[in-house]
Amino acid sequence: MEPRWKQLKNDAQLRKNLELRAKTIAAVRAFFDARGYLEVETPLVVAKPGMEPHLEPFQTTVRDPFGNASEAFLITSPEYAMKKLLVAGFPKIYQLAKCFRNGEAFEGRHNPEFTMLEWYRTETDYRGIMDETEALVKETAERVLGTKVLSWRGETLDLGQPWERLTVAEAMRRHADVDLDAALSDKKILLDVAARLGHALPAETAWDDAFFSVFLNAVEPQLGKKVPTFLYDYPVSMAALSKPSARDPRYAERFELYIGGLELANAFTELTDAKEQRKRLEEERALRQQLGRIDYAPDEDFLAALEAGMPASGGIALGIDRLVMLLAGEEDIRRVLAFPAGVMFQDKKA
Amino acid sequence: MPSVNEINKESVVMYKDEPHIVVEFQHVNPGKGGSFVRTRLKNARTGKVFENTYKAAESVEFVDLERRNLQYTYNDGKNWFFMDQASFEEIFIPKEVLAEKANYLKEGQEIQGFFYEGECLNVVLPKKMVLKVTEAFDAVKGDSSGNITKEVTLETGYKIKVPIFIKEGDLLSINTDTGEYVERANQ
Repeated sequence: MEPRWKQLKNDAQLRKNLELRAKTIAAVRAFFDARGYLEVETPLVVAKPGMEPHLEPFQTTVRDPFGNASEAFLITSPEYAMKKLLVAGFPKIYQLAKCFRNGEAFEGRHNPEFTMLEWYRTETDYRGIMDETEALVKETAERVLGTKVLSWRGETLDLGQPWERLTVAEAMRRHADVDLDAALSDKKILLDVAARLGHALPAETAWDDAFFSVFLNAVEPQLGKKVPTFLYDYPVSMAALSKPSARDPRYAERFELYIGGLELANAFTELTDAKEQRKRLEEERALRQQLGRIDYAPDEDFLAALEAGMPASGGIALGIDRLVMLLAGEEDIRRVLAFPAGVMFQDKKA
Repeated sequence: MPSVNEINKESVVMYKDEPHIVVEFQHVNPGKGGSFVRTRLKNARTGKVFENTYKAAESVEFVDLERRNLQYTYNDGKNWFFMDQASFEEIFIPKEVLAEKANYLKEGQEIQGFFYEGECLNVVLPKKMVLKVTEAFDAVKGDSSGNITKEVTLETGYKIKVPIFIKEGDLLSINTDTGEYVERANQ
């Protein structure tokens, strides 16, 4: 394979993409600085990483000068540390953090190391965060490209149009003909639709897996095609760090942002109940053990901070690499990274 | 039944009772929810390409195909004609099945065809193929975009971006996966 520096030297578009990346990051900082947010930096090497059952963190060892070793991990997201800062009395914070997830693909929408923008604000909920996300993406496009009209996958995508806000239940009804309220307590509804979509899943399939089989095949490809879409109110089992909805406790105040079929961001009205948080982390840990993932205890310092009292707040994680892909009109993450993982490590995929 | 974890590029799977070729696949571990394998499948008969996502370890029916060595002879714009090198019978493959692979075929080229119930569903070309440049113009000077490529036409009629030093009559090595220029291959 041609060395990456040579590819960069010979491909003017690739170099332009990296310039566009720098401009995007500058625009993001300008947006938050103008709104009175504090930029923070929290550790990338931590004792206790996130508990998401399907993410595998990179594992390492921290040694002190006397040779005492401690188990350590690279963060999969800076979420816990940022919430501790909310408790500490910082009401509006943002961070551009490198995050690390092992076992990810080296292409498409994934790279094992990527850049995440996270921001948190007290005295708001996920709706406040939706408004701010819409403003951020519009302003960033305007600053970086001088227009809100993008060309994406051969089609025109106008970020300036009013954005769509759609509940998960409504999206499932519209695109998969599923009554989600009924399906919450009847997995068979999902399994039947999955079978109709060409995916015969065994009866013992977990509820979440049955849901995702339908969602990923029938619903997700339809989202954010013409205008960006906020998909919100997820079944509570799929939102371990968010607050249950006041409207219906079977759902949680979580949203995802889809633009042109690309999943760009994930947000919550943050769960502030320490007891409930501990319960969900322990359930996730049990699932990690069952899946044969690396096992570690929950971050007790995070739970203690919640117990001390986390203010009502909203927060979000937005993939910067994917935002750059969208603005650059590039469909592969490798086109917006100077040195994607595949140029250093072997991807054994045929 | 085997699982989707055994899937590979160019595997052929049954989906809704029709054979489909795996064009792309990727294992995905979303931050929330289970692991999945996202694929792009091509309907072997219609050529229609679409995304299809499998739950990790989901059962998949693989289609066993018969491999035959074929030699390309000619095409009529709709069908591409080949000679089976074992039986010497003439077979044809519709344009939809060959798709962009038709761009690299010149008379006498040997390829592998994969057959299911007597019908060719997929062909595999050598990874790199050498083709001659039949039309090349000098690059326009003063192009300020910074691109240092130009377009030339190959003996099969395929148009391709190449470095500006390529001339008519040059032999080029082409990557048949990406359709891109690899290097000059003059003897």
